Amino acid sequence: MKRNNTADENTLAAASLGSRPYFNFSSKWSTVVLLVAILSGIGVFIWWLNIPFIEDIFTSSVITLISVLGFQLYMGNSGILNWSYVGYVGIGAFASAIFSMEPSLKAMQIPIMYPFLQKLHLPFIPAVLAGALVAMIIAAVVAWPLMRLSDAVGSITQFALLIVINVLLSQWAEVTNGPRTFTLGGSRQTTIWVALGFAILVITFVYYFKESSLGMKLRTSRDDRYAARSSGINFVKVRYQGYVTSAFIGGLAGGLYSHYILSITAGSFYMSELFKLLSMVVIGGSMSVSGAFFGALIVTLAQQGLRQLELGLTRSGFEAYGMSEIVVAILMILFLILRPNGVTGGRELSLEALRNLFRPKQYTNNNGNKK
Amino acid sequence: MESTSIFEVSGLSKSFAGLKAVDNVSMKIKTGEILGLIGPNGSGKTTFINLVTGMLEKDAGRITIDQHNIGEMQAYQIPVHGLVRTYQTIRLFKHLSSLENVMIGALGVGMKRKQAAAVAEDLLEELGLSERRDAPAQGLTFRDQRLLEIARALAAKPRFLLLDEPAAGLNEEETDELFALLSVMPEQKNIGILIVDHDMRLIMNLCNRLHVLNYGQTIAEGKPEDVRRNPEVVVAYLGSEAS
Ligand SMILES: Nc1ncnc2c1ncn2[C@@H]1O[C@H](COP(=O)(O)OP(=O)(O)OP(=O)(O)O)[C@@H](O)[C@H]1O
Ligand SMILES: [Mg+2]
Repeated sequence: MKRNNTADENTLAAASLGSRPYFNFSSKWSTVVLLVAILSGIGVFIWWLNIPFIEDIFTSSVITLISVLGFQLYMGNSGILNWSYVGYVGIGAFASAIFSMEPSLKAMQIPIMYPFLQKLHLPFIPAVLAGALVAMIIAAVVAWPLMRLSDAVGSITQFALLIVINVLLSQWAEVTNGPRTFTLGGSRQTTIWVALGFAILVITFVYYFKESSLGMKLRTSRDDRYAARSSGINFVKVRYQGYVTSAFIGGLAGGLYSHYILSITAGSFYMSELFKLLSMVVIGGSMSVSGAFFGALIVTLAQQGLRQLELGLTRSGFEAYGMSEIVVAILMILFLILRPNGVTGGRELSLEALRNLFRPKQYTNNNGNKK
Repeated sequence: MESTSIFEVSGLSKSFAGLKAVDNVSMKIKTGEILGLIGPNGSGKTTFINLVTGMLEKDAGRITIDQHNIGEMQAYQIPVHGLVRTYQTIRLFKHLSSLENVMIGALGVGMKRKQAAAVAEDLLEELGLSERRDAPAQGLTFRDQRLLEIARALAAKPRFLLLDEPAAGLNEEETDELFALLSVMPEQKNIGILIVDHDMRLIMNLCNRLHVLNYGQTIAEGKPEDVRRNPEVVVAYLGSEAS
């Protein structure tokens, strides 16, 4: 069939674009700038403090931030909780370690490892990226048939998938050293600066993803699947693309983690980790990148504070072990009941939002009544 | 540059557990005209729209746009062939901004992002929604939400637009605005419109032709003034009002 009206209108549209830019810096990209500034500010301050113990906590928290950003990328835009996400973090952690370790070291530490894996050897950063790629490829292979399933069945299969990944990571001795600890050896490669650098890249990427055509399409499938379909969107396809992208970032976080902690077991990438990520996006607000960011910040601070308290109490004879988990869980439940969109309410931090904060009367009337 | 397209449906049928919701309905719409699809509650109008847009699987029938057989396609493949719709109960992407909602219509038919943004800006302006461009759709007034849904549909640059009760919930003044908007659209944009509505004043003034359904079957077709006098139509409407 003929569609006579596109050619002229394309040029017209292109011409009119200059005068009305879609990207308004203060409302769009200021989010990335602000989040990066906050994170870097904290990072530089902690580096300046020069207390190794605090620097360690910060570095591991930044890795968790990367992980939660990847988790939010899928959950926030598609509206679907991906139970298997931490499995991809685990895959990235092990795969990157296998890539980066010296062959001779691997032969010594994990003698039963498949010879072709023992021979692999890449420098640190390429190994981390390769590990992320492995996680992404595995996601790409297993996810296609799962994306068509209905929501309830879909969640159950993702949950089952997490169990499968966990069993493989903890039992496939020729790859992961099985239930024994997988020790990387050498010195810590994910330094505070490496973690920070990747976090800045990932914040930018995740925000860009949300604003991209793909992210926008994915968000439509979250809001109204029928309208998405009748607007020409194949939501199975966009979900798949989102899922696979999210697995890449998860794998990246895993690789950074294993090169930070230097000895890993499959148990680090299971329920308690999933629960941590989930509490972060719930408390921060799953629908925005800023939500994942502030959720990570709040939960990390709460956990660290509570852990100190726990230690203090335990030392003084009061058994308080596990208290921090309980408190975070209760906090999450309260948020789900009282403020289901988290502290950010699903909005992004931006210059405009900050401005409105100081002029609430005029600007916060967002409930649609004209004037 | 004005070319005519034809949207043609023949022998369309659909039953729900024995209830014939749409029963052997045929219709033809050309670009440039407005066809009113009317009938009492439950007569199958929405089901008809769901069937031709691929949202429901049909039992039988043929649906084409200019020889393109769209009847076997997935719902998401249809807009690019020039057929889009709106919903009786508004279906917007409530967390997306007005601009993004409209952009989706354009992105859904394969336009690039920049072009989609430009098309969306123009449509928001045309429908008087520019002021609300960055507001989440859920915060819009009912009237603006109805218009936004139409804007999203138009962003796909369709040849045929199916409107399911666009005036439902609008007051008289707003309905007049809608009339003004729709009445010029077929010529201006060279599109064909199928409109379903219970507001007879709007339908009678707007439509070139009417198609009347009752219990899923076509009971009358033709010019508004003729259809209005058709005894079967009168009975169908009186009957439904009496019950
Ligand atoms: N998904 C469905 N499952 C079962 N029955 C359905 C379904 N959708 C519609 N029906 C039935 O099909 C018939 C036609 O419904 P439809 O919604 O098409 O009517 P309508 O003409 O749009 O009515 P209204 O003017 O009230 O919007 C009704 O009897 C309705 O109950
Ligand atoms: Mg209806």
